[in-house]
This record gives sequence, structure tokens and C-alpha cells, in this order.
Amino acid sequence: MSERLDGVARVYDEIAAELEQALAHVRVAAEHYRNELVPRGAAHAWAAHGHLLAARDHLEAQARDHADHAVAEPDT
Amino acid sequence: MARGAYLMQLGTVPYREAWDLQRSLAGAVSQGAIPDTVLLLEHPPVVTVGRRTDESAELHLPADAGVEIVETDRGGKSTFHGPGQLVCYPILDLTRHGRDVKRYVRELEEALIRTIAPFGLEGQRLEGLTGLWLSPPPRKIASIGVHVSRWVTTHGYALNVDLDPAPFTEWITACGLEDATFTTVARETGRPVTVADVRPHAVAALGEVFGLELEELPAGDGIGLWTQPVHAELAKR
Repeated sequence: MSERLDGVARVYDEIAAELEQALAHVRVAAEHYRNELVPRGAAHAWAAHGHLLAARDHLEAQARDHADHAVAEPDT
Repeated sequence: MARGAYLMQLGTVPYREAWDLQRSLAGAVSQGAIPDTVLLLEHPPVVTVGRRTDESAELHLPADAGVEIVETDRGGKSTFHGPGQLVCYPILDLTRHGRDVKRYVRELEEALIRTIAPFGLEGQRLEGLTGLWLSPPPRKIASIGVHVSRWVTTHGYALNVDLDPAPFTEWITACGLEDATFTTVARETGRPVTVADVRPHAVAALGEVFGLELEELPAGDGIGLWTQPVHAELAKR
């Protein structure tokens, strides 16, 4: 595998980790809301939000990187 | 001018859940998803060890103690948490608070001094020892241990309000201090004092010392989300 592709794979591993953490927090938030523990539920909801933003930033960086390397000709 | 911040009063939260929450909220603060955030809570009984803990020298729990031991990433040595202790985890972006970790710890001590003052207690700093003390003779009433990553803080302080301080000496050599005495607000005032009694003073002190206007999450109604300028900015994205 090329060094570049290995680097890209590692970025996607990071994105997956962020999303898995977001998922875990969302599940805990749901449980706390169900038990009427509003502040604890909200705290986990915001924790999830941070992970989603981090994942989105990584994905956008990858999209920009892809655009920089794209060679597709515009439609004529 | 005071800066808007979130205040989350979480009740009793297991240590590992609170630690996980802090790390993720620190990421959210770092991302600008939420403003500075202060967590106030209590823990079920737990012994935590910091990066500077000598476990063989400090931990001597009886076999039947039945208490969890958690290795953390905070500074400092071992300590005990349990019900009756007000635990405060400020998640602050220090780029807005001076980029100075020593100053941050001094400010946490100042917040503690102001928190116990309304109970007629004069908290003191002791040279070379982090935390808050009463004297004479020296009695430790609050412990401090912090972690800072990318200038965002986690962990914080634990103020002994009304709990049996025996675990600090009988289960562990808390803070690595041989022969130290630990005390509580209730013991010093000679009357029952609850965490709920102390909490408003802690909130006021944190607001004053760190220049924060703390907005509390409603606990009983609503869904726990409320309007902040940062949310409007996020909605525009």
C-alpha cells in the first residue's frame, strides 16, 4: 500500500472512532432522558455533538483533498 | 465582562462515566461546539490515582473495601471520592483564561476559598501543596487535580462537604501525604451541611473567579437544550 493511501485510511479510522464515540454518547443520552435525568442526558448529547463536528471536519478535509487532486474535465 | 458558560449539575455519576463525558465535552469545547462548561456532581465511592501516584506506597485498601480503583490522566497523587463530596470539573478553554496552568490551579483554589467562606471557614493555600487547607493544625478540606490538553481543562476539585474522611488515611495515603489530616465543611462548622447547601456558593465563586456567566441546564422540564449564540452560529452552517 502506498504511504498516501495508508494516511487516508488512518484518517478514516479516526472518523470511525469519532462516530463510534458519538454513537455511544447518544445511546447513553437516550437512556438518561428515559430515566428523566435531563442534565446527564444533555451532557452526553453535547459530548456526541463534539464528536460529530470532529468527524465532519475530517470528512470535509478529505473532500477538499480529493477536489485538489481531481482531474475530471468540466462539462462542455 | 462575563462570558457565557454552561453549568451542568449531574447528581451522582460513576467516575468512569464522568471521565468519559469530560473528555468528550473537552473535545466539544475545543471545537467551539459549546462554550466553557462546568460539571458539578458527586461520585459513588471510588479511589483514583493520578500520574504521580506511587501505588505501592499510597494504596492500602482492606480486601473487603469493595471500592473501585481508577487510574486517571490527571496530575497529582491518589485520592478518594464519595457521596457528600462536591466534585467540580470545569472544562475551560484556557486560551480565553490566560494560557497559564499554574494560574488556573491558583484560581481553582481561590474559587474554593470563596466557596467555603460563607460557612465561616477560612481556606488557605500551603506552600508546595496543591489543594485547600484549614489551619492550625493543617487539615485538608479539598483536593485539586487537573489535566490540560490543547489548552482545554478536565478534572478539577473535590470539596469534602459531609463524609467520613477515614478512607483518605485508612484506605490510601491520600495525595501522598503521610500523617495528613482530612476534614469536611460539616465537621468544621459543627452542624449538618449538605452538598446542595454548598453548591450555590461554588457556582457563584466559579463565576466570579473565572469571569463566567453560568447558565444552568433545567433539570425538570424541557429537553435540556437552550438558546445560546453559539447554537445560532451552528444552525447557520
